Amino acid sequence: MAEHDDCTLKLHAESAGDLNLKVAVVGMGKMGLLHASILNAIPEAELAALCDKSFLIRKFLKKLFKEIAVVNSVDKLSRFDLDAVYITTPIALHYPIAKTIYTENIAPNLFIEKTLASNFKESKELCELAQNSGGVNMVGYMRRFAVTFQKAKNLLEEKAIGEITSFKAYAYSSDFYGIEKGSKHGTSNIGVLRDLGCHAVDLALWFLEELKVERAKVEPIVSRNVEDSAKVKFTASNGVVGELDVSRCVGKYRMPAVGFLIKGSEGTISVNDDELEMSLNSGKSCRWFRHDLHDTVEFWLGAPEYFREDNHFVKSVLHNGSAEPDFQKSAKVDRLIDEIKVKAG
Amino acid sequence: MGVEEKAFLVGDNPFHGISHLSQERSRIRGDTPTNPEYAAKLIQISLENGANGFMFSVSEKTLSILNFLKKNGDINRLSLYAIIPYAYEYVRLASKVGGVPGLAKKVVKQIAFSGNFNAVALGLKGVLKADLGSLVKTYLAYEISRIRSSAGKQAELNSVILHQLVTDMCLGFNLSWIFRLYVDWMLKAGLKPGFNTGNFALLVKKFKEWEISLKDIVIAAPFNKIGFQMVPSKEECEKTLAELPKPNVLAISILAAGYLKPEEAIDYIATLPNIKGASR
Repeated sequence: MAEHDDCTLKLHAESAGDLNLKVAVVGMGKMGLLHASILNAIPEAELAALCDKSFLIRKFLKKLFKEIAVVNSVDKLSRFDLDAVYITTPIALHYPIAKTIYTENIAPNLFIEKTLASNFKESKELCELAQNSGGVNMVGYMRRFAVTFQKAKNLLEEKAIGEITSFKAYAYSSDFYGIEKGSKHGTSNIGVLRDLGCHAVDLALWFLEELKVERAKVEPIVSRNVEDSAKVKFTASNGVVGELDVSRCVGKYRMPAVGFLIKGSEGTISVNDDELEMSLNSGKSCRWFRHDLHDTVEFWLGAPEYFREDNHFVKSVLHNGSAEPDFQKSAKVDRLIDEIKVKAG
Repeated sequence: MGVEEKAFLVGDNPFHGISHLSQERSRIRGDTPTNPEYAAKLIQISLENGANGFMFSVSEKTLSILNFLKKNGDINRLSLYAIIPYAYEYVRLASKVGGVPGLAKKVVKQIAFSGNFNAVALGLKGVLKADLGSLVKTYLAYEISRIRSSAGKQAELNSVILHQLVTDMCLGFNLSWIFRLYVDWMLKAGLKPGFNTGNFALLVKKFKEWEISLKDIVIAAPFNKIGFQMVPSKEECEKTLAELPKPNVLAISILAAGYLKPEEAIDYIATLPNIKGASR
C-alpha cells in the first residue's frame, strides 16, 4: 500500500511528535464498547464520536460521555473531520456503512470488525472503494494478534516443521449448547461460519496463503435459517490437504476456541488460543504457553490481542501506511465462506 | 476477621471450569469441580487448612455453593469477596438475546421479578430518566440481595468487587464518576468497595488523579513471579504496589494460572509490600 498523501490522512497534529488520530466508532454493542474503550486508552488516538441507531443506547451514551459526540447515523460523522472509523455493527451492516463512509469522504481509514462483509461480492466492492480512498484498512481478525498463533506463524515461516503437508482446524463454542431446536434464544441471524469459523479460515489463509474448498457440509442445529455447524475439506498448493470443523453447539467451550494441528515433513505443530506444542520427527519437542511468549500489553481489556490489533491499526495509520489483515486479505475469508456454502448445497 | 489478618481466599475459577493456563486442561479436568456440593466440600477442606475467605463471581453456580456452605455451617467461618457482575455470563447472554439492548431487557426483567421493591423503584426511575447512576445502584442492590439471600444474614460479606471487564472498560473511558459512585454507594451500604483490574498500575494512577481514596478500597490484581497478566509490566506493578498507603491489594493469579509451583509462587508473594491477601 502506498504511503499517504496530505489528502488521505487528515492527522490532527499539533507538532510532528504529537500525532493524534481522530476516531469514531459505529455500533455500540459489546465490541463497539470494547474497541472504543481501548482506543480511548491509546495516547495517539482521540475518540471523537460514537454512532448507534438505538435511541436508548444513544441516550445513555450521551449521559456517560460528556466530551464525546453521539450521533444516530453515519452521514452525521462527516462534521467531525475524522481520520478513521471503526465499524462494529452486526455484519449485515458492514457493507452499507463502509460504502457510505468511503463515498461521502467521512474518513479515509477504516477498521471493520470481522467479517469484512456478508458475502464476497460486497467484500470485493469494499476492496475497490478502499483502494480508491488510499487509506489504511483492516479487519478485526484478532487471533492474528494472539501470541500463540503469532509464534506458530513464525515457526511455519522458519520451516521449523519442514513443508506443510496437512492441517486440521477447529472453531468451537458452547454458545448454543443445550438449547432446544426452535428456541427463540437459540436463533441467530448470523451463521457460525461468519460468527466463529471465520477466525479459523483467516488463520488457515495466514498460514497457507491460498485454499480451495473441496467438500463441505453445513447444518442448522438449533437455528432456523443459518448454520450452527460446518465440516469442510480444503486443498492448498503442493498437495496440502486440510480439514475444518466448526460448531457453536459443543459442550465445555465456555469461551470460543480455535485450534490447529499442522503436520509438516519434519514434525507437527499443535496450537490454540492458550498454548503451542511442536514435536519434531527427530524426537525433540517444545511447548509454549502464553506465559512464555511475552503476552503483555500497555492496556488490557478483554484479551491482550484486542489492544494489539487496535494499537497496530492506529500505528499503521500514523506511521506505516498499511495494516494486516487488510480488506484484500480478509475478502478471501468471505470468498471461502461463500464457497463452503455453495459446496454444501 | 480482624483488620490486620491476611486474607487467604479460595478462588472460584475451577468451579466455573476456567483455566487461564489452558482451557483444554479445564475440559479434561471434567465436571466434578463445577458441582456446587463438591465445590463447597473443597472450600470446607481449604478452611481446615488455613483459608479464611471465598472470592467468587456472582452466578447461579456460586450462589448454589453459598447455599451448601450455609447448610453445613461453614459460611460463618468465611469472609466473602463477591465479584459483580459475572461478565462472562452476561457476554454469553448478549450473543443469544440480540446484543446489548436484548441483554438490558433481560436484566431488567430479572430485577423486576426479584421481589426487591426498592431496587425496582430505583430502576424504574433510572430507565425513565436515562439516569445511569440510578441504574447502577439498582443493579448493585439487586446483586447484593442475591448474595445475602443465598449466604444468609449471618454471613460476612467483606467486599463487593467490580468485575475486571467493567473496571477496565470504565478505566479506558476515564469514567471517574462511576468509580466515585461505586465507592460512595458501597461505603454507605457498609461494604468495602473493591475493584478487580488487569491494569493495576493505571488504576492506582487514575485514582490518585481523581482523588479517590485508596485507603477505603480493595484492589484485586494479578501478582506472580513471572509477571503473567501484570500490565504494563511486573516492575511497574511492583513499584505502584510499594507506593500504596496501606495493604489493600488482594493478589490474584499468584500461581500464574497453574504455571508456577505453590512454593515459588508463595516465596514471591511473601516479598511484596501492601498485600492484604491472596486468592487461589
